[in-house]
Parts: sequence; structure tokens; C-alpha cells
Amino acid sequence: MTQDIMNTIAGFLANEILKQPDRSIGADEALISSGLIDSFSLVDLALFVEDTYGVRIDDTELNADTFDTLAQLAGLVVTRQGE
Amino acid sequence: MSISNILTLAAVSLVIGRFRRGRSLAVLASSAMVIYWLQPQDADIVTLVYWIPTATIVLVSLFWAVTSLPDKRSFQENWPAALVLSAVLLLVDLNRYFGFEQVFTVKTPRPILIAAVIVVVFLLSVLLLRFRQLKKLYWISGLAGIILVFLVMKTPNLPGSGVELLLDKAGRPLETGSNIAFSWLGFSYVAFRLMHTIRDRQAGRLPALNLAEYASYVLFFPSFTAGPIDRSERFVKELREPLVMDDEGWLFAGQRLAVGMLVKFVFADMLAILSISDRLVRDVISPGWLWLFLYAYSFRILCDFSGYTHIAIGLGRLMGFRLPENFNWPYLKSNLTQFWNAWHITLTQWFRAYFFNPASRWMRSKRWPVPLIILVMQLSTMTLIGLWHGITWNYALWGLWHGIGLFIQNRWSEFASSRLRWIFSDGRKQRILDIFNIFLTFNYVTLGWVFFTLSEPAIAWLAILRLFNLA
Repeated sequence: MTQDIMNTIAGFLANEILKQPDRSIGADEALISSGLIDSFSLVDLALFVEDTYGVRIDDTELNADTFDTLAQLAGLVVTRQGE
Repeated sequence: MSISNILTLAAVSLVIGRFRRGRSLAVLASSAMVIYWLQPQDADIVTLVYWIPTATIVLVSLFWAVTSLPDKRSFQENWPAALVLSAVLLLVDLNRYFGFEQVFTVKTPRPILIAAVIVVVFLLSVLLLRFRQLKKLYWISGLAGIILVFLVMKTPNLPGSGVELLLDKAGRPLETGSNIAFSWLGFSYVAFRLMHTIRDRQAGRLPALNLAEYASYVLFFPSFTAGPIDRSERFVKELREPLVMDDEGWLFAGQRLAVGMLVKFVFADMLAILSISDRLVRDVISPGWLWLFLYAYSFRILCDFSGYTHIAIGLGRLMGFRLPENFNWPYLKSNLTQFWNAWHITLTQWFRAYFFNPASRWMRSKRWPVPLIILVMQLSTMTLIGLWHGITWNYALWGLWHGIGLFIQNRWSEFASSRLRWIFSDGRKQRILDIFNIFLTFNYVTLGWVFFTLSEPAIAWLAILRLFNLA
């Protein structure tokens, strides 16, 4: 399940945020701290995750401390769905 | 802060770090005492040097009352902290009798007045705790009140602020100015911590904190004057369970303190002699020299600010805390977004969490065009960050400078990401591009400092013209 979530989010990032459909994003690749996605794209990412998985990511959680990689974000989604 | 101040604080931190039982009260008592001690003594107009830290403590007590959760409100749990704060207020006030003039002013208000203040604040807190049905009104009033005080404190020579009256009463010349008269030490950081607790309480995210924990979080002396702006939930974990002071902890704390003092008192103070100023801009016509002065300022402000952060983190570690980092080699970043992820990190995160992210979400939900959202949000966020340093045209222009830069960078990235893939996929070309981008970003940031450090837009504009040999 986590792998599916990671694949879906990776697809969104490559197509919609980075505009590089061929770009592969590793499960442990830093997204925020590396500057790969900026703060505006981070809001877009949060909206996408919320719409797709029906979980809430708070504005104060949109930072590298809460999640910085696909694996961490997918883990957060799974945890929220279980709450 | 002087070196002797820092060494004294390090000794205090070491002692406080030894406490296990009563740790939060020890942190609270020491922090409350230190904010009196650090308050600039030259602000002593009508005993303001006493009243300003007192106002901070009163504000913290009232904000705790309006944000506290039910299971942390009992008298039994909170009377020790109330007693500690009252004792600090009275003890400092009694310096009029002790006469330790080298530590704190002896011109303090009469003790009966302080006793009355303590009673009034206590009764007010009880009322706020009891009448919880008005909590939304409290939160809105709290936010509005803190923003209003912030505006008054941060606006230099604000007309009608009563500064002239106070200066006249104290027999001081008017040119002493409001900044000195009302120098409220640490208020920028206190205000942001208080606003964070109200917003998180509104959203149901604030952890349950008793008075000792809440007040320790806001007043914590290592980060009181220059940050970082910690989050309450992170801070309180280490207040309850401090980090162990092992060999690694000693080494870490020692290194951060040593590096901080070296960077602040050697590098920053040396660069200060060469740094650009109003006078240098007026007197020096040579662009080469002006660039040198500007580069000196650029490194000076980094050394000055990051030096204090190292010191705060070192002091915090001596007390069993790991404060968040505030700087991460910001001048080696290849674009402005990364620069702002590495410069005054906790302030940027605060603005993202409480302004940028919610406002961006709202605009997205209203289906505003994406480029317009980006433009509005970059300009407004960065202008607010500028104004946080002071309500002046120059700080606003500095914020706008960065907002415009971030917008241009965003649009360029959007344009280039699909068209210049042949560069990004070639490691060597990418490295060359990175070096060029670091150079470009550093110089853009450095040029922006003319707005930050010079006094008025006209002199900043003259500096830019002279830097490019146009005047």
C-alpha cells in the first residue's frame, strides 16, 4: 500500500510539479531540504495528497521536519488513514 | 551581549542543567531573572527598564490563561510557577534596597505597586480561566493586541506614541528617540511565540502546558534575544525529559559556544569596521570600494546573527535542550528559495506555517491564476518578513526585493525545467550552472542588504547608483 502511495505521489511530482515526466524520484530522495520542491509546490502537494487520500496535512506540518521524502510522506498518509 | 554576559549565562545554564526535580521552575526562574538583567539599562525612563520585562511576564501569564487546556489549569499544579514569577518581580524590584547597581537599576518602582500588579494579574488570570465561554474573544483580542503592540514597538518615532512626553518627563533630549526609549528586548520573538500558541490552540494542536512550561517556553533565556523560534511541542519534550549531558553533549555545547563567540566577537566585529554605512555611501564614489564595504556587511550580518545562534544553541545544550538550527550555509545556495531555507530558518518556517501556507491554500480554493497567487504570496510574505525587523520603508523594500527575486526565480524554473533538460541531465554542465547560480544568488542577496542596512530609500538608491558607477 505504501508503495502504491509513493508511486502515485511520485507521478504527481514528476508531471505536475517538476514538469519532467521521465524524472524518477527515489523513496529516500530529499524533496524539501534539497530545494527540489519549493514552498508553493509544497502547498500543491498537500492539496493533492488531501484530495487523493482524504487525510489532512496541517499548514504547520508542511516542512522537512514532518516529511522530507516520499517514504516519509507515504508513511504519514498511512498513519493518518489509520487514525 | 558582551563576552562576560555570555560566560555568566553559560555558568547559569550549567547549574540549571543539573536540575532534575523542579527543572521547569528552575528554567522559568532563571529565564525571568535574565530578561531583567539583559534589558538595556539606557532605556531607564520612568523606570521602563523595570516595567518592560515585567510587561513581558504579565503578557505571558495572561496568554497562558487564555490558551491553557482544562487538565493543566488547576491551582494545585500552577501555584509554584505563579509564586516563582511573583517572587522574581518582587526580588528584582527590591534592588532599590539591595543596591546592586552593576547588576540592575536601583531606580525601581515602589514594592507596594508591584504587589498590586501581582494581585491584579492573578485575579485577571483567574477570571480568564473561569469564563471560558469567551475563549474565541480572548484569542482574537490576544492576537490583535500583540500585533498592535508590535506595530507600536517597531515603528520608529511613532507620532502620538507618548515617547516625547516620557522623554520630557525624564528630562532627556527628544533626539534620544523612541527606539532607545522603548527598547523592548526580545519582543519580536516573544510576540511570535505567543501568536504561535494562540493559533495552535485555535487549531487544537497546542500541547497541554502548565504555567511553568508555557512561560519557560516563551521566556527561555538562551533564545530570548535573537531566536531561534522554537515550537512549543518540541521544546516542552526536552523540558520534561532533558537530553543527557554525556561527552558528546559537552563537546557539542563547547564547540557551539566557542564558534559562536569567535564568529560574533572576532569576525563580525572586525567586519563591522569595513561595513557599508550611510556615511560611506555619501563620501565614497569608487564602485570598487563600495562593493568591498557591501561584501563586508554581507558577511558581517551573517557572522553576527549566526554567531548569536551558535551561542544560543550552545547555552541550550548545557541546559539539556537541542534548539533548532537557524542557519545552514546560506551563501552557498544556488537559488533564493534555498537561501530562505537556510537563512533565519525558524522565522521563515513561522511565516510559512501561519501566513504563506494558509493564504496560498485559500487562493487555490478560490481558483486564482497560479502565477498571480505566486506573485501575491511571494511579495506579501517577504514584505511582512521585512517589516518584522521594523516598520520602515527600507525594511519593506528589502522584503520586496526578495519577493521579486523569488517570483522571478519561480517563473524561470517553470520555464527552464522542461526546456533546459539537456543541461540538468549532464552532471558537468549542471555543476558549472550550480557555481554560476551560487554566485548570482549571493550577489542578489548582498545587493539587497543596501535596503536593510542603510537608513532611507534615498540613500539606498544612491548606493545602488554608485555601486554601478551611475552617480
